[in-house]
Amino acid sequence: MGQASEIKNQYKKRTLFQETWRRLVKNRGAMLGLGFLVLLVLAAALSPVIFNYEVDVIGQNMQDRLMGPCAAHWFGTDEYGRDLFARVVYGARYSLIIGVGSVALGLIVGTILGSQAGFHGGVTDSIIMRGIDIFYSIPNIMTAVVIVSLLGPSTVNLMIALAFSCASSFARIVRASVMTIRDQEYVESSYAMGLPTWKIIVKHILPNCLSPIIVQITLLIGTTIISASSLSFLGIGVPAPAPEWGALLSAGRGHIRDASYMCIIPGLAIMFTVLALNLLGDGLRDALDPKLKK
Amino acid sequence: MAEELVLDIKNLVVHYVTEDADVHAVNGIDIAIGKKRTLGLVGETGAGKTTTALSILNLVPNPPGVIKSGEIYLEGKDVLKMSPSDLEKMRGNDVAMIFQDPMTALNPVMTVGDQIGESIAIHQNLSKKDAFEKAKEMLKMVGIAESRAYDYPHQFSGGMKQRVVIAIALACSPQLLIADEPTTALDVTIQAQVLELMKQLIRDKEMSMLLITHDLGVVAEVCEDVAVMYAGRIVEKGTVDDVFNHMRHPYTEGLFDSLPNLKERGEELVPIKGLMPDPSDLPPGCAFAPRCPYAADVCSKGVPPLTAVDGSPTHFVACSAYSNPEFSLRGNKDGR
Amino acid sequence: MAGKTILEVQNLTKFFNTPGGQLHAVDGVSFTIEEGRTLGIVGESGCGKSTTGRTILKLLEPTGGKILFDGQDITGYTRKQMRPLRQEMQMVFQDPFSSLDPRQTVMQLISEPITEHKLLKSKSDIEDRTLELMRTVGLADRYMNVYPHELDGGRRQRIGIARALAVNPKLIVCDEPVSALDVSIQAQILNLLKKLQADLGLTYIFITHDLSVVKYFSDDIAVMYLGQMVEKAPSDLLFQNPLHPYTKALLSAIPLPVVGKEKPKRQLIRGEITSPVNLPDECRFWKRCDCTQDKCRNGNPGLREVEPNHFVACSCV
Repeated sequence: MGQASEIKNQYKKRTLFQETWRRLVKNRGAMLGLGFLVLLVLAAALSPVIFNYEVDVIGQNMQDRLMGPCAAHWFGTDEYGRDLFARVVYGARYSLIIGVGSVALGLIVGTILGSQAGFHGGVTDSIIMRGIDIFYSIPNIMTAVVIVSLLGPSTVNLMIALAFSCASSFARIVRASVMTIRDQEYVESSYAMGLPTWKIIVKHILPNCLSPIIVQITLLIGTTIISASSLSFLGIGVPAPAPEWGALLSAGRGHIRDASYMCIIPGLAIMFTVLALNLLGDGLRDALDPKLKK
Repeated sequence: MAEELVLDIKNLVVHYVTEDADVHAVNGIDIAIGKKRTLGLVGETGAGKTTTALSILNLVPNPPGVIKSGEIYLEGKDVLKMSPSDLEKMRGNDVAMIFQDPMTALNPVMTVGDQIGESIAIHQNLSKKDAFEKAKEMLKMVGIAESRAYDYPHQFSGGMKQRVVIAIALACSPQLLIADEPTTALDVTIQAQVLELMKQLIRDKEMSMLLITHDLGVVAEVCEDVAVMYAGRIVEKGTVDDVFNHMRHPYTEGLFDSLPNLKERGEELVPIKGLMPDPSDLPPGCAFAPRCPYAADVCSKGVPPLTAVDGSPTHFVACSAYSNPEFSLRGNKDGR
Repeated sequence: MAGKTILEVQNLTKFFNTPGGQLHAVDGVSFTIEEGRTLGIVGESGCGKSTTGRTILKLLEPTGGKILFDGQDITGYTRKQMRPLRQEMQMVFQDPFSSLDPRQTVMQLISEPITEHKLLKSKSDIEDRTLELMRTVGLADRYMNVYPHELDGGRRQRIGIARALAVNPKLIVCDEPVSALDVSIQAQILNLLKKLQADLGLTYIFITHDLSVVKYFSDDIAVMYLGQMVEKAPSDLLFQNPLHPYTKALLSAIPLPVVGKEKPKRQLIRGEITSPVNLPDECRFWKRCDCTQDKCRNGNPGLREVEPNHFVACSCV
């Protein structure tokens, strides 16, 4: 009794996750991106502690308006005298929540649809995929504009709107991976073993399409942050005076000649975040690639 | 041996250098093929057979492959010292290679006639039209109707594709044909047809051939000489009669004992115990010693050189056990 | 030879609908196997041998015919009804590289069928049983937490065999279990399968293209060509006295590793296996056969017993 678990512990070794992490650490770009994202997440999480939302973020202070970056206001102030540093850091909360939230929503819906379409094929596949094609053929921003206009502008509605396009990308990726894995012999072997279909999908098929999904998650968070900012820039995203990055950009537009930092700084924030996500995504793709395995 | 050699490999060493290991794929082998001779290079997966073949064309993928040392003479010229343009002239013209998988060796968007004609046009300075005519002749030679020159590879079956590949290889009448597991992907009846065809073509065109295979049956069918490779070294070589009927190396004996071909039902197969050693971590001394039923202390001390068997001009074996004059393989004692 | 019949297949057919017409992958195959024996099914690629194996296990739905396992007609069983029967009949796959989930460790792979069929409850019992299975198939303890891609083909095939054994099956369908392996490893696996049969009283259906392997391994041999059995006989009888021209050609096509001794003359057959789509009612082999007579083109010759236990489908025998 218990002899096996002793042996199991005796020959303990790195799990697949640890193995992937080991390879990821070797990739400088990915670690740079990851480092930036960790900082950003920390800043976003701690921002309510550091700043008083009512005073520092949305409180107006007309005598300090349009000050360039200086010691007191690192990123300068906007047309209402609000500290841009506080607003950009606080804005990370919105961008990250919207990015992660819509991607998560899209992931759940897309994976369910994609795995059903890919696994069953035939009519199921046609119905699901043609529906997704229709969504795909309408520009993302347009779908989002329509949904937000219908539901009314709010952070949650924006997330739902953006989740639609995420869901269709995930559905396509998952379907393609599932279709190749479905024909692998180990799936047939699971049938021969007597596993029910749902267990085969959950235990054997989805874990094997994990790599493209993880990569897509990081890349999609980036695009979604851009889309969210674009919508806010158009004025149908997160309602004012919340400091969403797109809204900050939009506010800076009027002062692009006399106070260009108002556009440049939120623009850089978006750019670095998306760049960091892409670096991490590429790094993950390489780290997860089984072809690099010995 | 004063006979003219088409291929003469001397002390070839090829390593694959990767980030975490230095893989010793080929560790000092000597192979010579005379005119109109057919040599079978036998060994299991990972023995270094294909690397040897690629070295002859100087095609070892670099990185990670590095030819550490050695000389490869093709009709007197050292391949490893050739300029890139000389190499291009040599490949396909003096030496041609047939790969294992006929399914991927052909370009799916070109007609087979064009594919055969391509190498003729390049190496023989013929116009495209003349080359295509020649291509048709080649197809006829490998037993395919000329009219099929206009077809695409997907319209051919596996055996037919391998015939097309052979036609491409032989299009420029090379002196040496390297065939890397040419029939492994084919069914037995088709394999029999293709082997028969290859034998006949080699005889007619007076070529030499290096046949790489894991199948001793194919060697017996086609080859005159045979070299048995294990972990990047040649452990035994000689004429097929030497190796098949008077084998000396324990690994050769192990290979034959593993075959179910000649056994009667109920007889137990005698597999070689264990596995081929990791080529990035070879044991000291004879690489086969850890699996060898005859291994003695002397085997782990130094790599045994290939030595002539009883003064034979053709038969060589690399086994330390023969330093003891009493030694012989079990099978030989039984009077096989 | 009055053993208990464990599997009876009657007139089994499996057609696939393709754009070109109906593909007759398996076309009227019948046989029985007695407990503890091995039936070898031999043929070239495309002859329907793998489809036969998969249809028997109901991994593919049969188009027609009957499959009786242990007296039970399982032809119409649904996947759900089949699930308890999966304990009785198992499969070993050809490709040890694609038949194991790359994200599971050896431990997880072998214990999966035990957990799935709830054969054992406690975690330590399951682990102990897994270890026992690993030892049975000759896998060293240290491989317990390794992933399949870290192992060579022979070891992976041992995992596949351990998985099949985990549920204590009666019948194992082995689909080309050794054709992806090197000869020295192939011999190890064949010896293992033989030993397991002797120890556990297993019944095998051994599907292969390699006649020398099947001769060594099987009690009875069935030769398939284009979805049909063309000859069936006890192993020794088939090799001593092959009657169907296809069997003869197949036998003489094996390159024997013999030099300088007397070898039977080769009988090459021309052409290649024809397409199994929309087959006319004639002898399936006549286009490649030497003895073309009119009767070969009139009607498909069924299997006939020409001598005791020796069945041939040829009008000219």
